[in-house]
Amino acid sequence: MAARVKEHWPLLGLMLLTTLIAQVHFLGAEVVSREVTTALVNLVLVVGLYIFIGNSGVFSFGHISFMAIGAYTTAILVIPLSIKPYILPNLPGFLADAHLAFVPATIIAGLVAAVFAAIIAVPLMRLSGLTAALATFAVLVIVFVVADNWETFTGGASGLANVPTQTGVYDALAWALVALVVAYAFQRTRWALKLRASREDEPAARAVGIGVTLERTIAFVLGAFLAGVGGSLFAQFLGAFTAQAFFLNITFLTLMMLIVGGFTSLAGAVIGTIFISALSALLIRVEDGVDIVGLHLQATRGLREVILALIMLLVLILRPRGITGGREIRWPFRSAQPTVGRS
Amino acid sequence: MEALIQNIINALSLSSLYALIALGMAIIFGIMRLMNFAQGDFIMVGGYAIVILADLPWPLKVLATLLVVVALALAVERLAFRPVRDSDPATLLVTSFAVAFLLQNLALIIFGSLAKATTLSPFLLEVWRIGDLAVPKRDVVMIITTLLLLAGLVAFLDRTATGVQMRAASEDFRMTQLLGVNANKIVASAFAVSGLLAAVAGLFLVSTTGTVSWNMGLNPLLVGFIASVIGGLGSLRGAVLGGFALGTITVMLQAYLPLELRPYRDAFAYSAVLLILLLRPEGLIVERTAKERV
Amino acid sequence: MLRIDELTVRYGPIAALHGISLEVNEGEVVGLIGPNGAGKSTTLNTIVGLIKPASGSITFDGRSIVGQVPAKIARSGIALVPEGRRIFGRLTVAENLQLGAAVRKDRAQVAEDLERTLDLFGVLRTYYSQPADRLSGGEQQQLAIARALLGRPRLLLLDEPSLGLAPIIVDLVFDVLAELKRDGVTILLVEQVAARTAEFADRSYVLRTGRIALSGTRDELDGKADFAHAYLGALDEV
Repeated sequence: MAARVKEHWPLLGLMLLTTLIAQVHFLGAEVVSREVTTALVNLVLVVGLYIFIGNSGVFSFGHISFMAIGAYTTAILVIPLSIKPYILPNLPGFLADAHLAFVPATIIAGLVAAVFAAIIAVPLMRLSGLTAALATFAVLVIVFVVADNWETFTGGASGLANVPTQTGVYDALAWALVALVVAYAFQRTRWALKLRASREDEPAARAVGIGVTLERTIAFVLGAFLAGVGGSLFAQFLGAFTAQAFFLNITFLTLMMLIVGGFTSLAGAVIGTIFISALSALLIRVEDGVDIVGLHLQATRGLREVILALIMLLVLILRPRGITGGREIRWPFRSAQPTVGRS
Repeated sequence: MEALIQNIINALSLSSLYALIALGMAIIFGIMRLMNFAQGDFIMVGGYAIVILADLPWPLKVLATLLVVVALALAVERLAFRPVRDSDPATLLVTSFAVAFLLQNLALIIFGSLAKATTLSPFLLEVWRIGDLAVPKRDVVMIITTLLLLAGLVAFLDRTATGVQMRAASEDFRMTQLLGVNANKIVASAFAVSGLLAAVAGLFLVSTTGTVSWNMGLNPLLVGFIASVIGGLGSLRGAVLGGFALGTITVMLQAYLPLELRPYRDAFAYSAVLLILLLRPEGLIVERTAKERV
Repeated sequence: MLRIDELTVRYGPIAALHGISLEVNEGEVVGLIGPNGAGKSTTLNTIVGLIKPASGSITFDGRSIVGQVPAKIARSGIALVPEGRRIFGRLTVAENLQLGAAVRKDRAQVAEDLERTLDLFGVLRTYYSQPADRLSGGEQQQLAIARALLGRPRLLLLDEPSLGLAPIIVDLVFDVLAELKRDGVTILLVEQVAARTAEFADRSYVLRTGRIALSGTRDELDGKADFAHAYLGALDEV
C-alpha cells in the first residue's frame, strides 16, 4: 500500500494539494469561495491544455474554443424549459425540449467539445510546430466569430443568461480531481511516451519511424474533453456569459498558468494554476483598494494584468521550464530508494 | 459606376493600411520565425502618441509618432525577444502574446478604458469633388504614402549593406551569422523597420477611425496575421500582396455580401487562413523557389 | 593556428565526439576524413560556434574561442563553406559575394579581391547579376567557396565540398583548392573521399565514430601498415 502511494505520489500528492487548497474557502467570505471555485475551474482547463501541450510540445491557442463549445452546449441543455423559449427561441425541437441535470450536462459538454476537436484534428494534427500553433489560433478566432453571431444557439453578441448557477466549490473540486487522474493516467500510456519522445526531438523521432499524428490526436481530443468540461463548469458557475469570455484573455490566462508552472509536467499545471490564481486574487484586492499599515493603496484596472504579463515574461526569459522546472513532484519523505522525477 | 469607383478607392486605401501591417509582421517573421502578436499594440501605442501630442503641428506629430513606435519596437526586442531568441517559434509566439497583453494593460492603466477621439490634421477629413465623385483626401494621402514607403523599403533592402544582410538573414539566419554578420544588429534593424511601418499604420488607422483605445491593436493584428498567411509566412512581397488582397476582398465583401452573412465575414477570412495553412503553407503567392540547374 | 584539445560533444545523452584533438598550422592544408556519422560536420560546427562542446578546448591563435557566438568567431578570421553550400538563393551572385565581405572595412581591397575572385571563378562573373538559385550545384559550390574567401579568412573550413557533384565538377573544385593552397591559404578540408583528400592535404586525420583513428602526412599514412590503405581504400568504394 505504502509503495503504491509512493509510486503514484506525483498524482496523489497533487490531488492532496488541490483538495487542501480548496479548503481555503472556509476561511473567507463568499468572495473567497468564488475565487476558489474559479481557480478549480481554471485548473480543469489548464490540465486539459497540459494534456496536449505538455505531452506533444505543440502549442495550442485553440483550446478555449473547446471551452466555448462546452459552455454553450451546457447552457442549451440546462437552462430551465420555462425560460428557454424566450432566450433561444429558434432552437431545433429536440434541443428546445432538452433539460439535463448538472453531471450529465457537464459530461455531454465535454463530449461535444471532444467530437469537435476530433473533427478538426484530422487536418490539424498533421501540422507541426509553428504552423500548428497558428492554425489553432485561426480556430479560436473562427469559433469566437461564430459564437458572437450565431443567435440561434449562442444568443449572439448579447450572450446567454439564466443558466442555473450550480457549480459549487466541491463540484469544481471533484472535476479538478478527475482531470488530474485523466492526465496522469494518459501520461503513463505508450501514446504519451511516444509523444514525449517526439517532443524532445521531432526530426529524430520521425527518422526512427515514430509518427505521432495519432498520438497527438488522442491528446488533443482528451484535452478538448476537459476544456469542454471546464467550459460547462464555467457556464454553470457564472450563469451568464458572452462570446468575449472565450477569447484572448482566458487563452492567455490559461497558457500563462501552464507555462509559469512548467508546461511539461502535471505538477507544473497544478502549481502554475494555484500560483497565478493566488496572485490574481491578491492583486484584485489591490485594484479594489486595500489598507496596509495605514496606507490606502488603490490601483486602477489593468494593474493585475500588467503584473501577470511581467511575471510571464520573466518566467519565459529566466526560467523557461517554469516554477517546477517541468518535473513532477517527489515523495517528500526519506526513502531507501530515491524516487526519480520524470520530466 | 460612381459607387464602384468609390469602392475601388476605399479598397486601395484600406489595402495600403493592411499591406503595411502585414509587411511589419513579415519582416520580423522572415528573420526570427516570430509571428509578433504585439504588432497591433505597436500601432496602438502610436495612436496614443498622436493623442498626447494633439496640440503640436501635424509634421511634428508624425515625426514624434514614428520615433515613439520605433523606440518601443527596439525596446521590446531588446528586453523581451532577445533573451528568448534561440527558443522554439512557439515560445517566441507566447512571448509576443505576453508583450501584447502587457502593452494593452499598460495603456488601460494610463489612459483608461474609454476611447479617445483625435485627428492628425483636419486636412485629411476633406474631400475632393470630381463630378459626383467624392474622393477623401485621406485616402489619396494613404495610397501615395504607402507607395513611397514601399519604394523606400525596396531601395533599402536592395541597395544598402544592412538591407542585403536582412534579406540574407530571412533566407538563412545561421549562415548570415557564419559570415560574421552581427545577429543583434540585423534583428534590431528588422524591429526598427517593423516599428516604422507600425507607426505609419497607426497614423493611417487613427486618421481613418478618429479614435484611439487600449484594445485597438486586435484588429490590425488579425489583419496582419491573415494577410501574411495568405502571402506566405515571412515573404515580404507576399505580405504586401496579401494585404492588398485582403483589403480589396474586405471592402468588396462589405459592399456586396448579402446583409445576413456580413457578420461572418471574419469567419470566412479565417477559414481561408486555415485552408491555406493546411493546403499551401507556403502561401498563395509563392516566391521563386530554389531551382538548380544540373 | 587552430588547436583542438580533448573535444567532446554530446547530442543529449549521445556523444558525437569523444575527446578528439587535432591541430592546423599556418599555411597548411589538413584533411579530416571519415565515413558518414563519424563526427566530421560536428567538429566543424563546433569550431564555428554553432554547437557548444561538453568539454575540451578550441584555440585560434592561442586564444580560446569556445562559447563565442558564430559571428564573432567568423570575424576573428575563420570561414566555413558549409555542407550543402547554403548560398542565399533569392539573392544575386553579387549580393552573395558582398555578404562574404560583410566583416571587412577595407573597401578598396575588397573591390580588388572581388576582381581576383571573379577571375578565379569565371562562371560567377557570367551570372553576376542573376539570382544564385539559378546556378547549378557545382557553380553554387564555387560561389560558396568564393563567398567564404571574400572574407579574407586566415583559416578556411570546407565541409564536403565535393558532395553531390559530378566527377568533372569535383575535379574543378579540387583545382580551385589547389590554387588556394598555392596562395598559402590555411585549409581544413572535411571529406568522405578519403584517398584523394589524403593525397591533396599536407596532413590528414581519420575520424571514426567520434574518435581520431589515424593521423599523419600522406607518406606516414601510406606507411602506416596495410590497415590504413585498406581502410582508406574501403572508404572510397563506399
